[in-house]
Amino acid sequence: MEAQSTSLNYLPIIFQLLVALGFVVFTMTLTHLIGPKRKTADKLVAFESGIKSIGNARQPFSIKYFLVAILFVLFDVEVIFMYPWAVNFREFGLNGLIEMFIFMGTLLLGFIYIIKKRALDWD
Amino acid sequence: MSASDFYALSPLLLLAGSSVLIMLLIAVRLSHRIIQISSLLLFAISLYSTVFTADILPYRIPPLLIFDGFSSFITALIIFSSLVVNILSYVYFDEKEESPKEYYVLLFLCTLGSCVLAISNHFVSLFLGLEILTVGLYALIAYLRGRNHSIEAGVKYLVLAAFSSAFLLFGMALIYLETGTMNFSEIGERLRTVDNIPVIFITGLGMMLVGVGFKLAIFPFHMWTADIYQGSPAPVTAFIATASKGGMFAVLFRFFASIQGFNFPEIITILSVVAIASMLVGNLLALRQNNVKRILAYSSIAHFGYLFVAFIPRNAISLEAISFYLLSYFITTLTAFGIVTLLSVRETDAEDIGRYKALFWQHPILACVLTASMLSLAGIPLTAGFIGKFYVLAAGLQGGFWLLAIILVLSSVIGLYYYLRIITIMFSKEEHAEIIEKKAHPGFYVASSAALVILTFVILLLGIYPDAVIKLLGGFSMS
Repeated sequence: MEAQSTSLNYLPIIFQLLVALGFVVFTMTLTHLIGPKRKTADKLVAFESGIKSIGNARQPFSIKYFLVAILFVLFDVEVIFMYPWAVNFREFGLNGLIEMFIFMGTLLLGFIYIIKKRALDWD
Repeated sequence: MSASDFYALSPLLLLAGSSVLIMLLIAVRLSHRIIQISSLLLFAISLYSTVFTADILPYRIPPLLIFDGFSSFITALIIFSSLVVNILSYVYFDEKEESPKEYYVLLFLCTLGSCVLAISNHFVSLFLGLEILTVGLYALIAYLRGRNHSIEAGVKYLVLAAFSSAFLLFGMALIYLETGTMNFSEIGERLRTVDNIPVIFITGLGMMLVGVGFKLAIFPFHMWTADIYQGSPAPVTAFIATASKGGMFAVLFRFFASIQGFNFPEIITILSVVAIASMLVGNLLALRQNNVKRILAYSSIAHFGYLFVAFIPRNAISLEAISFYLLSYFITTLTAFGIVTLLSVRETDAEDIGRYKALFWQHPILACVLTASMLSLAGIPLTAGFIGKFYVLAAGLQGGFWLLAIILVLSSVIGLYYYLRIITIMFSKEEHAEIIEKKAHPGFYVASSAALVILTFVILLLGIYPDAVIKLLGGFSMS
């Protein structure tokens, strides 16, 4: 750890700010300048996946899509914890197994809650 | 982990287990009443377990957690506040929400997060506790989703809390860059080897103060306070004002004590400016408010400014002063928001000051309870607030911080105006404001009122005979 404290020590922070800002300005200007532009009427129309858009995207949709998506994320993240655990399974030994059972058990209780609340019933 | 680790952690384990248990009770479709009563019991058990585990203090679970007299006291205080909030919630939510049950699960989780903050001794546990607390609060603030203000408050809190968490994390990263450790006491050891505070370190500290200051709602991070206090359901507002701030303040104090930040004049200057500005801004902004929840929001900014007056000197009585002030502030605030909760009706909370007109002639007990809590917030003798303020002033003067002490006294005088304004309105004898009587749950209504009356007696007891509590607090040490 350095003992002296001068305003020179702020330089790394200022550099970081400058680089972050400079990168955005640089790339935006550069793409604007060197990108070829041939504007035709078809190109300037808003499109989605190569097809002309139909209607407005901002319309209400069933909240159930959102619920299913969020539950998927929840149980997906759970699996992330299992990979490192499985790789180190031997080192963790019996304690690791018990801890994983507690973790999975808690999630199972959450799953029971979801089922009982009929969060997965579409109707 | 050894068996004694589990023993020391039992209040937190109980809170975590309770949230799962309540979730299962909801799954088997029990009534709101049963769920409220069982969560009350579970809060009482975890509160008891903090007393029960006091015999092994001080105790460490390296490197993350630390248990000592102070942390145990704050944990008990946080769980106690949640217990009171829980009592008040039944009457409030039963008539407003068709499914108020998940509220209790979130309340347990938020309490858990706040308790983790109070015992953390490491950046990782600090951040973990903060996120458990904050993520639960997003949902709690917007719980009454039919109300416009509620959604607005929830979204505001979400954006601002996420933003300030980013600052906190970057600050932690900078401190880690400079010291190479995230443990509070090890950071303190590294810092002791230098004469001047390194620049990267103080930059990191400043960024951390943004995140912490947001949670504590101190100047200049106070902008959200009034809107979110107004938009949240009244019991949740009580929780934000007490439990969520208490845990954060405890960890801030522990951090500054561990790094001995009070030896560096730069840090003292920063904190003094924050304290002075919070005291003045909080009290001045409250003057022209006509909304009781907003008045209490601005008064909370000022009160955390007062707490910093005891915080900055870091002398022998600092710890005692902070503990006592937090105790008196928590009890007083819970009482004040309790009255707001009880007077709220189905459509709106009792936030307009006109609702309190001539309250004394209709509900003398509620009016007296609110009077006691207003006097205590103002710091009038014979209430807990006076002893707390006296303590804070003594700590500030002992450290020789005269400017802070003078500002504290002056801003308290400004504060007196709006506290007394609420009291005079309650006692004015004019045409009665229409008050809709609550007959739906007389039992719970009486229980909530009784809890508030008991809290009022505690306020008076702490003001008249504080010896017993002071003896208890004097025995605290921070390891």
